[in-house]
Amino acid sequence: MTHRHKLWGALILLACFHALVFFAGFFAPYDFATHNRELAFAPPTRIHFVDAQGKFHARPFVYGLKNDPANSGIYATDSTQVYPVHFFERGSAYKLAGIFPSRLHLFGVDDPGRIFLMGTDAFGRDQFSRFLYGGRISLMAGWIAAGLSLLIGIIVGTLAGFYGGWIDQILMRGGELFLALPWLYLLFAVRAALPLHIAEWQVFLLLIAVMGLIGWARPARLIRGVVLSAKERNFVLAARGFGASDAYVICRHVLPQTYGVVLTQMTLLIPQYVLAEVTLSFLGLGVSEPMPSWGTLLAALQQYYVLSSFWWMFLPALFLIPVFLLYYAAADALQERLSSVPL
Amino acid sequence: MDARPQLALDRREPLVRVQHLSKQYVQRRPLTRAKFTVQALDDANLTIWRGTTLALIGESGSGKSTLARCLALLEKPSGGAIWFAGENLLELNAKDHSKFHRRIQLIFQDPTSALNPRLSAAEIVAEPLAIQREGTKISRRRRALELMEQVGLPARWEHKRPLEFSGGQRQRLAIARALALEPQLLILDEALSSLDLANQEMLLELLADLQAAHSLTYLHISHDLRLVSQCADEVAVMNERKIVEQKSAAELFANPEHPYTRELLAAMPSLESICLERSA
Repeated sequence: MTHRHKLWGALILLACFHALVFFAGFFAPYDFATHNRELAFAPPTRIHFVDAQGKFHARPFVYGLKNDPANSGIYATDSTQVYPVHFFERGSAYKLAGIFPSRLHLFGVDDPGRIFLMGTDAFGRDQFSRFLYGGRISLMAGWIAAGLSLLIGIIVGTLAGFYGGWIDQILMRGGELFLALPWLYLLFAVRAALPLHIAEWQVFLLLIAVMGLIGWARPARLIRGVVLSAKERNFVLAARGFGASDAYVICRHVLPQTYGVVLTQMTLLIPQYVLAEVTLSFLGLGVSEPMPSWGTLLAALQQYYVLSSFWWMFLPALFLIPVFLLYYAAADALQERLSSVPL
Repeated sequence: MDARPQLALDRREPLVRVQHLSKQYVQRRPLTRAKFTVQALDDANLTIWRGTTLALIGESGSGKSTLARCLALLEKPSGGAIWFAGENLLELNAKDHSKFHRRIQLIFQDPTSALNPRLSAAEIVAEPLAIQREGTKISRRRRALELMEQVGLPARWEHKRPLEFSGGQRQRLAIARALALEPQLLILDEALSSLDLANQEMLLELLADLQAAHSLTYLHISHDLRLVSQCADEVAVMNERKIVEQKSAAELFANPEHPYTRELLAAMPSLESICLERSA
């Protein structure tokens, strides 16, 4: 397998996954806030092709779930109730990509049947739907925060590398300060200082600002290094010989050379920031109920009984691993490809 | 030694007069950060006559390139004076700098690193015009194609990137770019050293043609005495950060005065002596 295949493979799989999250309303059978109080902590629904009579069905179906009133939390399948899985069926209203109102879902079963691919949480909400919806917040936060970090990193790194001297000293020492601060504790302090209930978008902005502002120091350092070597190249000197201004030299000759580092850093920072969001939400610094994010999905695992009794609550964490691996694979392949391009 | 046919050397009008030029670099030792100075130029004197070629020879580290960079306004000398057409380059303000950037151009030894590999040939040649904000994008491109033709690169190669050209072609591209602002002085800092003999020959011819067509003045820095004897009207010899001798080429090769010049000339094997050694 060549780098080319590795890169495109990773990118295509990532694109598919992001499409799942972006069009969560279509791919998720339920809204993220739909409760099923009588079906709290229901295990993943089994999908059948062969019924109790041994008859094969071309269309997959699910059985109904019965809650045993004597043993709360123990569910029995009700094999008398057969709910065939319908594709492209109409269900709850949502907005596709947050804009176009729609009712079309990829799959679903008729009421009162329920299909929970990844089980349900304490309120009987479909974990699969919440996982897809949760990705919107987490991935968007990751992308925007990574973009913010890199933007600051590019500006700071370019100025420091290009001008050197005391500008370099101030900017880089500042960056080290940012690396050295105990951010987690500062974050707790900031969150404690804020009112208990703040609007969702405010939390979201706070998350992005915090992650973006903390993370710029490392990319700034890398970009500074590239700029340092870029500005020594003879074509930069030649441009100076034609009377070029600093702005011209930076935009035309120096910044284009940082593009490889920026691209690679972006692919590395995104999963890092998605994980940061997960950590912050896990610690209660993230978005609040009922809005899901990957962090709040995993926050349920803080309780011991959830951890010990309901294995499907782990599934979101399990599904995130290949996504992160794909990001790292893409970064790796990008790095290899860009380093083989003569700069 | 066949020097090039002597032009009537017009010594009435100097284009450049370098007087007592010195340049120190302040550097710091690693770890201790103790400052120390490196003397790169020390009381260098030089005259370049308008429309002629002055070759500057000397061993590496003698300060030739520093002198070139000071002349091209890429470095600030520490002391002395550079008179260019009656004005002292050391006393320029920022606005005049730009004016002199147009009149003095430098060609680097390694054309590969002197050309941005991401830009196309036409973009590279038009760059000085774009920097000086001359004309429109269309007129600049037209001028770039003209210049490419002038240095022997067909205009249909305008979209090629520098890495698609050979070494000699890249140097031609660099020359075309340097000519874009119609300079008076072209400094060739070992510009032909990285090329093979055939390419050197062709580029020398091109440079001579361009000199005649645009009444250019060359400062040709080289350590290749054979090349110097072919192209120079005058030769200046540099040793230990100083110019030790400046004379017309014919005079210098016939009658070297300074002991260092003699040493340098003696080190150059003549073609006859090589042939003799081989046949022996």
